[in-house]
Amino acid sequence: MRSWEDIQAGSFFEANARERAFGIVDKNTFTELLNPRDRQASPHLPVLGEAIGFDDGIVTGVGLIGKRPIFVVSQEGRFIGGAVGEVGGAKMVATLKLALQTYEEVKKQYPDSYQDRLPAVVISFETGGVRLHEANAGLLAHAEVMDLFQDARHKIPVISVIGSKVGAFGGMGFVAGAADVVIMSEQGRMGLTGPEVIEQEVGKDEFDASNKALVYRTTGGKHKYILNDCNFLVKDQVGAFRKQLTEVLEQPFEQIEQYRRIGSMELVQEQIELVDTAAKLEPKDAMDIWKYFGNEEPAKLPELSVEQFLKVAKRRPRKN
Amino acid sequence: MALRVLEFKYKADNPVTIAKEWSHLGVVGSGDLEVLMESKDLDGWLTVKVVTPVTGFDKVWDLVLGKFANESQLGNVAMEINDNNATPIVVSMRLRQALAEANKLQTEGE
Repeated sequence: MRSWEDIQAGSFFEANARERAFGIVDKNTFTELLNPRDRQASPHLPVLGEAIGFDDGIVTGVGLIGKRPIFVVSQEGRFIGGAVGEVGGAKMVATLKLALQTYEEVKKQYPDSYQDRLPAVVISFETGGVRLHEANAGLLAHAEVMDLFQDARHKIPVISVIGSKVGAFGGMGFVAGAADVVIMSEQGRMGLTGPEVIEQEVGKDEFDASNKALVYRTTGGKHKYILNDCNFLVKDQVGAFRKQLTEVLEQPFEQIEQYRRIGSMELVQEQIELVDTAAKLEPKDAMDIWKYFGNEEPAKLPELSVEQFLKVAKRRPRKN
Repeated sequence: MALRVLEFKYKADNPVTIAKEWSHLGVVGSGDLEVLMESKDLDGWLTVKVVTPVTGFDKVWDLVLGKFANESQLGNVAMEINDNNATPIVVSMRLRQALAEANKLQTEGE
């Protein structure tokens, strides 16, 4: 593997799951749990004649950011599109459980200063959701992860980072959005039904998945930032993601919880109002929505660098 | 059709092992593979286990792996490969990269 320094300076989009996991925490603090040598491959793929991976497409482990234990889940899009099966799903679930156990432990050991050592969960999404070869187990994993997100409420922050090729789609699109904080790059994409599936099901007139500009302005980081589905937009660099993550974790937990999209009646109401706005606006393109939220020249936004974009972009106002 | 498991072994004249206790490289993407190498007392042998969906290329695997074994003189190493339809040239390249990774000094930011 490349050195930590090389990974920091390099592209997040190009980095594989293991490099992302290693690079998202402080230098050389990452310990992989269930590493390739443990050979926890899928028990279902061999009978189907599908290639297996020693990590089942999900790298899990723990590292540090400052004094905080950071529990990392990192999905590998190049392995079956990052789809979540039984083993990979169980690894996600176990990592979240471990984070919650660690929270109790830290609280017991440091009753006065546990907030400085508060564990966090960071998930680097790169997936289309359930792995259809082992769909029941994959779906169950989605449900369990969602359940554990609720258990983590008011205890430890859960943060989604999205900036890899496949994006966060399908059931995992829901999961990513249910975290406390979402950090994306411009190349990151988040949604439910992926562009190619929409085209396949409804037709090219509905959504042309080969139109990259259309795909990115409908599901990409800049659009999600304007809509406030994504809280922070960073440039495509592992170091930039880590820096943003570190800054978020330095904030008081009550502040971090304010970034949530769902999780209270007020937030649900806010989402319903957004649906209402969309129904009235009948946007033909994401740019119509950008304009509605005050961006006078929406067509220029996709061309801007992240730095320039962050200076000028107007976002959907949040209630809180 | 189920996945296939192929096993090979090679013995070098002057076997050299790897610097790390174990090492891993690669992602099982389409047309790609991962390599796990473990230092082990195997009486000088290099053993290779390949798990692959590909049929009919066992001889090619033997040729590619045999060439790597001969060039590297690896011994007392257990190697495992999870393959997803990688071409011989990709296999050769990944094997060389895996060996370089396995011999990286631990102090270099590892």
